[in-house]
Amino acid sequence: MAGALAAIVVSTAPVAGCAVSGEAEEGSAQPYRIGVVLSLTGTYAGLGGPEKRAIELEVKRINGAGGIGGRPIEVVFEDDGTDAAKAQAATVRLIDEEQVIAVIGASGTGQTMAMRTDLERAGIPQISMAGGSIITDRLSEWAFQTPWPNRIVIPFVLRMMAEDGHTKVGLISDTGGYGVDGRDYVLRSAAAAGVEIVADETFNPGDTDMTSQLTKIRSAEPDAMLLWAAGKEAATIVKNARQLNMSQQVYGGSGIARREFIEGSGEAAEGVMIGTGKILVAESYGEGTAEHEVAASFIERYTEAYGSAPDIFAGHAYDAFGLIVDALSRVEGDADGQTLREALEQTEGWIGVGGTFTYSATDHNGLTEDDLVLYVIEDGTWRLVD
Amino acid sequence: METAELLQYVLAGLKSGSIYALVALGFTVVYSSTGIINFAQGEFFMLGGMLSVFFHGAGMPLPLAGLAGVLATAGVAIAFERVALRPRRDAGPLVLVIITIGASMVIKALARHAFGPDELGLPEFTPGPSLSIAGAAVERQSLWLWGLTLVAVLSLTWLYRKTKLGRAMRACSISHDASRLMGIDTASVVMVSFGIAAALGALGGLAVTPLTQTAWDVGGTAGLKGFAAAILGGLGNPVASVVGGLALGLLESLSVAFISSTYKDAISLGVLLLVLFVRPQGLMGLVRREKV
Repeated sequence: MAGALAAIVVSTAPVAGCAVSGEAEEGSAQPYRIGVVLSLTGTYAGLGGPEKRAIELEVKRINGAGGIGGRPIEVVFEDDGTDAAKAQAATVRLIDEEQVIAVIGASGTGQTMAMRTDLERAGIPQISMAGGSIITDRLSEWAFQTPWPNRIVIPFVLRMMAEDGHTKVGLISDTGGYGVDGRDYVLRSAAAAGVEIVADETFNPGDTDMTSQLTKIRSAEPDAMLLWAAGKEAATIVKNARQLNMSQQVYGGSGIARREFIEGSGEAAEGVMIGTGKILVAESYGEGTAEHEVAASFIERYTEAYGSAPDIFAGHAYDAFGLIVDALSRVEGDADGQTLREALEQTEGWIGVGGTFTYSATDHNGLTEDDLVLYVIEDGTWRLVD
Repeated sequence: METAELLQYVLAGLKSGSIYALVALGFTVVYSSTGIINFAQGEFFMLGGMLSVFFHGAGMPLPLAGLAGVLATAGVAIAFERVALRPRRDAGPLVLVIITIGASMVIKALARHAFGPDELGLPEFTPGPSLSIAGAAVERQSLWLWGLTLVAVLSLTWLYRKTKLGRAMRACSISHDASRLMGIDTASVVMVSFGIAAALGALGGLAVTPLTQTAWDVGGTAGLKGFAAAILGGLGNPVASVVGGLALGLLESLSVAFISSTYKDAISLGVLLLVLFVRPQGLMGLVRREKV
């Protein structure tokens, strides 16, 4: 018993000593600590991997060039396992134990929202790599976002459909976060785009056959079909549609701008139109522009380091990290959560991979329809629609 | 509604239904010889697809890769029974069921690490445009699904009725102790039934991969639907499992046609509950009376 007590006393002593020496060392050579919460396991594991690689690549580059005002950047990664509760716990750990001044994350919308309260309370800015509209629709002083949310992408895609003369549209969406959010915006913005939604079908992630939903859409006789889904079911849908001999033009968004969609659909993906950001094809940034230079440099460095081209998720992570670096370099003196947040909000015309960001007190997404382009899938790859 | 359209809904339902049926057959086989529900059944469905993709990627031709995938899955199940279940076989059904839940998590996590987070696919068994039956389209892969389901249920029925092994399996379902007294090697019977159940689930996972792709996390939904189908039909009887699977698939498809795709799962599982209120033994299950 006495031995156990002594052990407790001994074990607390170095902790107290550490805290004191930490304060004593506070100086300008200290690194800026940034926390990153992403999904390396669980459903969104496919997102977290490229995101982590992009950030690691950029940290090395910035620190190699001397850091920010002589201070290097130190990044602490946390895996949330695609679980909102774990994302929140990781955030608390980053705030309390790692003393970070900003947090990038998460990969998913649900996880992003779960992190918010603690970050607001601690006064630490957050930049999310998730595309849910809710992240910036429900505006928080402290929360920013890098992907194009459905709020921007859907009106763009609907406008493209209307311009092609497809005004009677059959919608099929998943009941996961991305599909529900998307369906909401489609129904809300269809009329303004001059498009009529003649069929509105849903399916659950994990469903193995969507022939019934497609049969119902077919009987509504639409000019085109809008597919708003993020998972592997998207490939099943275009294959089912082909087997039903449906000839309607299929449109989709960022959720199907994935290599796996093309691989899984094979022939059936040919001709599918996708409205999303420019990273899929470097030339879409326009030769000789500043945007092209930024993106081409990132694509080249990433490909060289990892042996494969970056996808849109790597791009969102590049942007989140780059926005923080840009804001830090604009802060006078030593940055803290408050001054960093203010600098982030004043971001104007920062050129990233996802687009040109201009944040304001009312817009924490910072992107517009100008940052989107339309692709068509041809010969198993993306081609820019002129 | 036109006849061709109605037929299309029915065919779609029968297609999903036969996938559920193959998973349900696995539940039934294990239940028949052990009296427990094997909640790792959905993971065998996943492994069947993933391992076949793996063997196909390693250069095997499709039929051989499929066969290897199914056999390897059966091997995994036999190893699982031998290592995790048999040492605890006297611990009572609840403990065994919980072990199967644990195993499903382990298999899933291992598959995630071995095969990566992204979805993988296989080519169709017999590629080509869909066929037409009275104006309704039928995918060639659907014919494979129906064929495999039919072969599976016929062979199982034959196994149970006509072979010594099948009779031993049925004897085990009534009483392990009595079977052992009659000279049946109950441990081997249980092991073989896990192998057969896994092979059936794997067959489903293999046949559906060309249509839907597969991934490390598909086992959960497949297991749930297959379990519902097995319960709906009545546990312990192969024909009942197939009837349960097809009925569940039809219910879902017709819910989409006549009500709403949003509620299709709620409707089909609601009907399942309703059936169980009226017939707790399932549509075709037999009431087993305890004789005193």
